[in-house]
Amino acid sequence: MSKQPQKDKNFVPSRRSFLQGGLTAAGGAAVAAIGGGAALAAGTPDPAITELKDWNQYSGPGVDAAPYGVPSPFEAHVVRRDVPWLTADPISSINFTPLHELDGIITPNGLCFERHHSGVAEVDPAEHRLMINGLVDKPLVFTMQDLMRFPRENRVYFLECAANSGMEWRGAQLNGCQFTHGMLHNVMYTGVRLRTLLEEAGVKPAGKWILAEGADASGMGRSIPIEKALDDCLVAFKMNGEALRPEQGYPVRLCVPGWEGNMWVKWLRRIEVGDKPWQLREETSKYTDLMPDGRARRFTWAMDVKSVITNPSPQAPITHGRGHTIITGVAWSGHGKIKRVDVSIDGGRNWQHARIDGPSLSRSLHRFYYEFNWDGSPLYLQSRAIDEQGYVQPTKDALRAARGDNSIYHNNGIQTWYLKSNGEAENVEVS
Amino acid sequence: MSKFLKFTASIVLLGAAWATNANAQDADAGEKVFHKCAACHAVGEGAKNKVGPELNEIFGRVAGSLEDFKYSKAMTKAGEEGLVWDHDSLTEYLAKPRDYVKGTKMAFTGLKKDDEIANVIAYLATFSESAEQAAAEPESAPAAAAVETASTAEPAVNAADAVIPEHGVHHLGREALPEEIAAWDIDVRPDGVGLPVGSGTVADGGVLYDENCAVCHGVFGEGEGRWPVLSGGFDTLTADRPVKTIGSYWPFASTIFDYVHRAMPFGNARSLSADQTYAITAYLLYLNDIVTEEDFELSNETFSEISLPNKENFYPDDRLEEPNFATNVEPCMENCGDGPAEIVMRARILDVTPDGDEENGAGGID
Repeated sequence: MSKQPQKDKNFVPSRRSFLQGGLTAAGGAAVAAIGGGAALAAGTPDPAITELKDWNQYSGPGVDAAPYGVPSPFEAHVVRRDVPWLTADPISSINFTPLHELDGIITPNGLCFERHHSGVAEVDPAEHRLMINGLVDKPLVFTMQDLMRFPRENRVYFLECAANSGMEWRGAQLNGCQFTHGMLHNVMYTGVRLRTLLEEAGVKPAGKWILAEGADASGMGRSIPIEKALDDCLVAFKMNGEALRPEQGYPVRLCVPGWEGNMWVKWLRRIEVGDKPWQLREETSKYTDLMPDGRARRFTWAMDVKSVITNPSPQAPITHGRGHTIITGVAWSGHGKIKRVDVSIDGGRNWQHARIDGPSLSRSLHRFYYEFNWDGSPLYLQSRAIDEQGYVQPTKDALRAARGDNSIYHNNGIQTWYLKSNGEAENVEVS
Repeated sequence: MSKFLKFTASIVLLGAAWATNANAQDADAGEKVFHKCAACHAVGEGAKNKVGPELNEIFGRVAGSLEDFKYSKAMTKAGEEGLVWDHDSLTEYLAKPRDYVKGTKMAFTGLKKDDEIANVIAYLATFSESAEQAAAEPESAPAAAAVETASTAEPAVNAADAVIPEHGVHHLGREALPEEIAAWDIDVRPDGVGLPVGSGTVADGGVLYDENCAVCHGVFGEGEGRWPVLSGGFDTLTADRPVKTIGSYWPFASTIFDYVHRAMPFGNARSLSADQTYAITAYLLYLNDIVTEEDFELSNETFSEISLPNKENFYPDDRLEEPNFATNVEPCMENCGDGPAEIVMRARILDVTPDGDEENGAGGID
């Protein structure tokens, strides 16, 4: 725990916590409360009702107790978590969004997963500049104030790391959708179209690619074809209404809707227009997909149609026993809107349409629900998304048949949770 | 006009406040300096040894005395001869580690600025109970007040006097100066566009590599811990566990130069000159048998001679031609598959607690 001493170890999902603490340790305070209620004998008055609680009797803190509000202490277990063995050092590492604790489609700013290549850059916005140079009529420099004077737009987009679910290529490995699918967040951005900025500088006809570059110590850079740059890319300075968080690129980042998260350059300080791609580290040695014949795909930008059941899942077991039960999860596609989500409770033998609720936006998370009457028998839970292009989320076997085990990125296979009769869920693969 | 004068005055005031505090130790500033150290050293609650020893209670510690850390012989000997870490010894050591303790394993070349040294020591002092209180003394109040003044002081311009540029559609921003573009535009492409004038030999690169790179990437590029492996791995791309290195996988040598020049060494980016970067790139090519002579000199002139062996084995994204995507048909809804579903694989890593490193995962995120 040396790296993150503030974390509460009790909520890290482990075999130990299941064995020692039972379900309450894994599920947190809310589960403990519900479990406590269920344990009452029939006809016994509920002390939650009959006893006077402190909050019924005494005044609480005043309006300025938390000038910037924070979650209830009962939600203290709802945090990003990392898997330290994945990377060499926390300064160049990743953590994961707690998908199983969220609902709706928006990811709260403090829970959006982080991936840095040289730590979080602390940038003074007064000293931040965005430069456009290369094959343009006039190379330009913008201050943050300049950027905020261009016409703005608000768009909700998912960001998924290309390596999300990358640890699962060789089989079920991590127990929790936070770890298997949590390199994902969905945010409403406010910003300026990159197209608007490029038009201000004037792209020359020979300009076919852009290089987006960050101001952090890794100098993160990615090549992006000009068609995408002039289409929907957004230079964003607000997330969910407030300034970007430092770990998400404050004061300004690039959004590349539907494409892999590594391209969404944070702390964006330069856009160069060129006639060829730059072939930098993150688009050659990384983010290329090794195939079984030893060759590799490059420029695999789009994130394919995908979904996952977030509840129940290994970190979010069912504690209420049989009866009316809600399965919920998220679905998304880099190719547009989600047309439909199917849910199977028998490992893919039979499927039912799930209900999508909330906004259905292109290249945004969609929230789905499937309500049913659980009889308490073991189930194999799966979800399968279909996007508006008609692309169907594949099985993991189909992906492995096409790509082998070593392509690391772009694993959008169907996830299976084995729901046991005691309500626990485990990450498995089925025939 | 009067407001402009006021603004100028506050700048002067700010400058004076900073000048008087130039030598004051600032633990907060030191925390930032410590980023240069954090790749190898941990400090704070629960800190453990990494590539370098943990630094809690470093003040008063005899050099080379942590029992669970393997020091260089030189450091152990320095401790036996009486070296104890305190404000003065740390100040000298951090300026030039390898001059102060000849033979130390610490590859870091030293902090160049006195205030960085003072600040990082102040930061470390906050994790040492025995450190003198003075070392951790916070910034004096006037300096903080001056900073606040500066951040709110904006020169007020009469709106009607603002100059509107002629370029573009919205007439926003200003033209980038050639010096500004040169300062930031350091990217290098496979066709050599962007290479600065300069040169360096394999032999020079070896020395620089040992000083700056080997601590993480290993003496032969084999990689320490989970830090990237840079050499070898030939003919492993079809193996069960491919080893993707410069020699076995990377398509372009320009990527080495670009990345080392912009991002390495980790925690001290942009510190290598063009000549040093050519030398390190040459040495990495040597470690991968791409060049074989120690006197080989890589330069902007010779760069185009270099071709990496795996260059031809990359091809454009064709995922949408895979059967699963290409067919694009309505999926099966009822009685799919053969017989009832059965478990064929279970989660192999149930325990992902940070200390459970004896059972590392099968995959990686790279």
